[in-house]
Amino acid sequence: MKSISKILVAIIVLLSFTSCNAQTKNQKTETVKIYGNCGMCKSTIEKAGNLKNQSIVNWDKETKMATISYDSLKTSKEKILKRIALAGYDSDIFLAPNDTYSNLAGCCQYERAEKTIAKMDETKMEMETKDHSMHSDEMTETQETNTLSVVFDTYFSVKDALVKTDGNTASAKATELLSAINKVKMETLKMDVHMVWMKVLENLKAETTSISASKDTKEQRASFISLSESMYKLIKISKQETPTYYQHCPMANDGKGANWLSKEKEVKNPYYGSMMLSCGKTVETIN
Amino acid sequence: MKNIKLNLTAFFGMLLSHFAYAQNVVNYDLTITDTIVNYSGKEKRAIAVNGQIPMPTLTFTEGDIAEIVVHNKLKESTSLHWHGLFLPNKEDGVPYLTQMPIEPSETFTYRFPIIQSGTHWYHSHSGLQEQIGMYGSLVLLKKKDDPTFRKGIDDLPEVPIILSEWTDIKPENVHRMLHNANDWSAIKKGTVQSYSEAIKAGHFKTKLGNEMKRMLAMDVSDVYYDKFLINGKNESQLSQFKGGEKVRLRISNGGASSYFWLNYAGGKMTVVANDGNDVEPLEVDRLIIGVSETYDVVVTIPNEDIAYEFLATPEDRTNSASIYLGNGKIQLKSRMPKLKYFEGMKMMNDMMNMDGSMDDMGMDMSLQKMDMNTVMYPEITGNSEMKMDDKMDHSNHSMKTNQDIVTLNYGMLKAPQPTTLPKDAPVREIQFELTGNMNRYVWSMDNKVLSESDKILIKKGENVRITLYNNSMMRHPMHLHGQDFRVLNGKEEYAPLKNVLDIMPMETDTIEFSANAEGDWFFHCHILYHMMAGMNRVFSTGDYVNPNLPDKKWAYKKLQAESNKFHFMIENDFATNGNDGMAMLQNTRWSIGTEWSLGYHDGHGYETETHIGRYIGKNQWFMPFIGFDWRYRKQNGEIEKNLFGQTNTKDQRAVLSLGAEYTLPMLVKLQGEVFSDGNVRFQLMREDIPLTPRLRWAFMVNTDKEYMTGFKYITTRNIAISTHYDSDMGIGFGATLNY
Repeated sequence: MKSISKILVAIIVLLSFTSCNAQTKNQKTETVKIYGNCGMCKSTIEKAGNLKNQSIVNWDKETKMATISYDSLKTSKEKILKRIALAGYDSDIFLAPNDTYSNLAGCCQYERAEKTIAKMDETKMEMETKDHSMHSDEMTETQETNTLSVVFDTYFSVKDALVKTDGNTASAKATELLSAINKVKMETLKMDVHMVWMKVLENLKAETTSISASKDTKEQRASFISLSESMYKLIKISKQETPTYYQHCPMANDGKGANWLSKEKEVKNPYYGSMMLSCGKTVETIN
Repeated sequence: MKNIKLNLTAFFGMLLSHFAYAQNVVNYDLTITDTIVNYSGKEKRAIAVNGQIPMPTLTFTEGDIAEIVVHNKLKESTSLHWHGLFLPNKEDGVPYLTQMPIEPSETFTYRFPIIQSGTHWYHSHSGLQEQIGMYGSLVLLKKKDDPTFRKGIDDLPEVPIILSEWTDIKPENVHRMLHNANDWSAIKKGTVQSYSEAIKAGHFKTKLGNEMKRMLAMDVSDVYYDKFLINGKNESQLSQFKGGEKVRLRISNGGASSYFWLNYAGGKMTVVANDGNDVEPLEVDRLIIGVSETYDVVVTIPNEDIAYEFLATPEDRTNSASIYLGNGKIQLKSRMPKLKYFEGMKMMNDMMNMDGSMDDMGMDMSLQKMDMNTVMYPEITGNSEMKMDDKMDHSNHSMKTNQDIVTLNYGMLKAPQPTTLPKDAPVREIQFELTGNMNRYVWSMDNKVLSESDKILIKKGENVRITLYNNSMMRHPMHLHGQDFRVLNGKEEYAPLKNVLDIMPMETDTIEFSANAEGDWFFHCHILYHMMAGMNRVFSTGDYVNPNLPDKKWAYKKLQAESNKFHFMIENDFATNGNDGMAMLQNTRWSIGTEWSLGYHDGHGYETETHIGRYIGKNQWFMPFIGFDWRYRKQNGEIEKNLFGQTNTKDQRAVLSLGAEYTLPMLVKLQGEVFSDGNVRFQLMREDIPLTPRLRWAFMVNTDKEYMTGFKYITTRNIAISTHYDSDMGIGFGATLNY
């Protein structure tokens, strides 16, 4: 009996040793973008990409980035991405077959980067012009800061409207903000900004939409809490020319406290309006 | 110094040189060498020409004189056949039929005028060399002032595409395994269609019915391939093409036994030629290219910054090969879904009579128009076989089945010019029934292999009309050397010209040609392993004197022998209770087999049975034989009594026998034998009942009150783990090795 357990231990040790060994040999890890939406996409993407003793894929549905680790002697990034594309998910190397994409579950029908595949001749010209605008790197650089700063500036307008407890203006400004968000070409963003952008995008859109849909400042303020959180993450990673102040009011949000961003150091609370205009303090200065 | 110079010139000659002389002679030097390739992760032997696989693309213009110098640096003989070309018979490249084999270190020059245009290809016609690298594209361009020159087609940028497949198993072994009904290929392909799989798919009755009709698992192809290749690569890109451009693909199927489905991610394809002959342009979604056929297809690259996948999928859909046309992100084409084999089996059951012949149930099938395999295509018939995969369920629900897919068939092909034969020529009618036996891998015409048939004499100037009926379970790409035939497909005087006719099971097709090419022309199934099994004929105008083949009678005998070779197999079970095994030497009709059972001590005894038999009939279910039994055992003279009351000690015995074997429904073999000592024995036996994809059950029982039952789990191509119980030797465990 004893000898059996000894043998078992020996076998287990041996096995774990070999498996450890296998994992570290020729291992390569890369981060790539894979378009997708939800948890269901995640499992499909990972299932398609994973192959025993060859590759492990971990896709983040927030950032749409996948970490792929693979044995570079046995397989390649291209092979893995090809399998994932054949399961319906685009990447920067492969585009999924159109019929496979349209057979994805409704919630997985992510927005495709290239929507012009099906209509070939009519859209060809458009594609070309788009191409030209993207050729100059400097141009995209300026564009990036421009588009994001438009987002921030519009956010400040929404905030100012809420400070004044002006539901109509807040709603109008939120509509502006939404279009500014939609105009951002995320592929032109820097990698780290891009990652955060992908993470917060959905929230930004959702909260902005609900602010724009309502004229009631109470509802708008509730959405503004979460919107400000996302904006904070975004402004922290993207470099802006002038400092921004991250401010906190401990009483807002039914005593749970809430934050907002401001261009001015002076506290002007967007959650209470004139009632408690100066309640709050600057918790962080973002340069 | 002179030597070096000579060597240098020879060296340059060996390179793919392209000298155009004043007489318009286009010269190629082809040096054939052994090489090592690695397509699948393993290094294997292959054959390269000028150091490359596929062989270099040869390009000529109509009116040129082709001069191709072949240097054979192999250790075996070789040959090159110019597939689809009209040329003098002595240049056709069939060893023992139109020339002597090109022996090792010999140089042979083919020289012939180019009198046609179109996409063709060339390959070795010796043994199985075509499987391991000896295939290449052959492009014949139209002259600029050709009246048939088509603007917008013949002036497009073009790419030769040659499809092929690779197996890590030596082709000689592939061939041998096919003849021995070795199912390793099926295991690798996942197409064993065992009882467990049948039950899972709800098709137990189908499987039972199939075995009742004495059929082995049906498949659309026989060989497992490790890789499929387009121009020698599994995946490649042609990034020179830009968005909006049209490209003409000159596609040849150089595969030894694979049909390929062709699909394109960038929309429809326009078929503009077939087997080197122009056809009226046809827009299709997909087409299947038979073994050795050629198709010219025009595709458009619809977008600037996207490359589009041109996908070649073998008919069994085990894998695929791709070439990407264009630059940028790659737009993939969805893979063809796996075949629903049990649906196909069910259909086969309905079509197969108990006597092994096919019944088309009153449907006149022809010209690929009614593809019975369609029942197996999920993309057409819907995915009834729901995969148990958790996430798959969801996607399957919304899976749209598409009946609007336009698939090319021969009925659609139309020649741009009339192709009628001379009207007043005498007509010669010939009929062929394509026959086969999957179990023993015998493929024949009218149930006769080449070694059982003489040349078919035809007269020069006759119109030969051939009606083919495929009464076998596989499709066959029938190829005629040296001339094109018209396929009578209802297009009247515009019937398309072809040199390969794919004919599906139960189809009847009629082809005709004017016999004006002198000499001996091969007519055969182009599936390499079918050809080597004897599915060939020779059309001969009789009076042709071939300077490359002095003794034609002797040569024909050699040719006949090539496709009726003996195949050897041996198997032994090294078990704890003894050794059981057998060895067999078989060809189309004859079988020489020895079985043995060797114990480890005298008490268990030693026993061998040898049978020499001949298979009779089309289905080869019946085999009379003569035999010899020898046995030694020490059991104190104990007397055994058989069911007929005959006695025998069996302790020491050497007898001759006369008997017969008959395959019963369920593939059970009934053997009856009369021995020279007057004893009679009947025996029922079945080996290799597929319980699961890898588990086989065997049993044997006979009137000597001997019985055996055993299981075998197949682990690799040559090794299985086995256990069996034997009435003589008791229970045993061991390993079965086979070759």
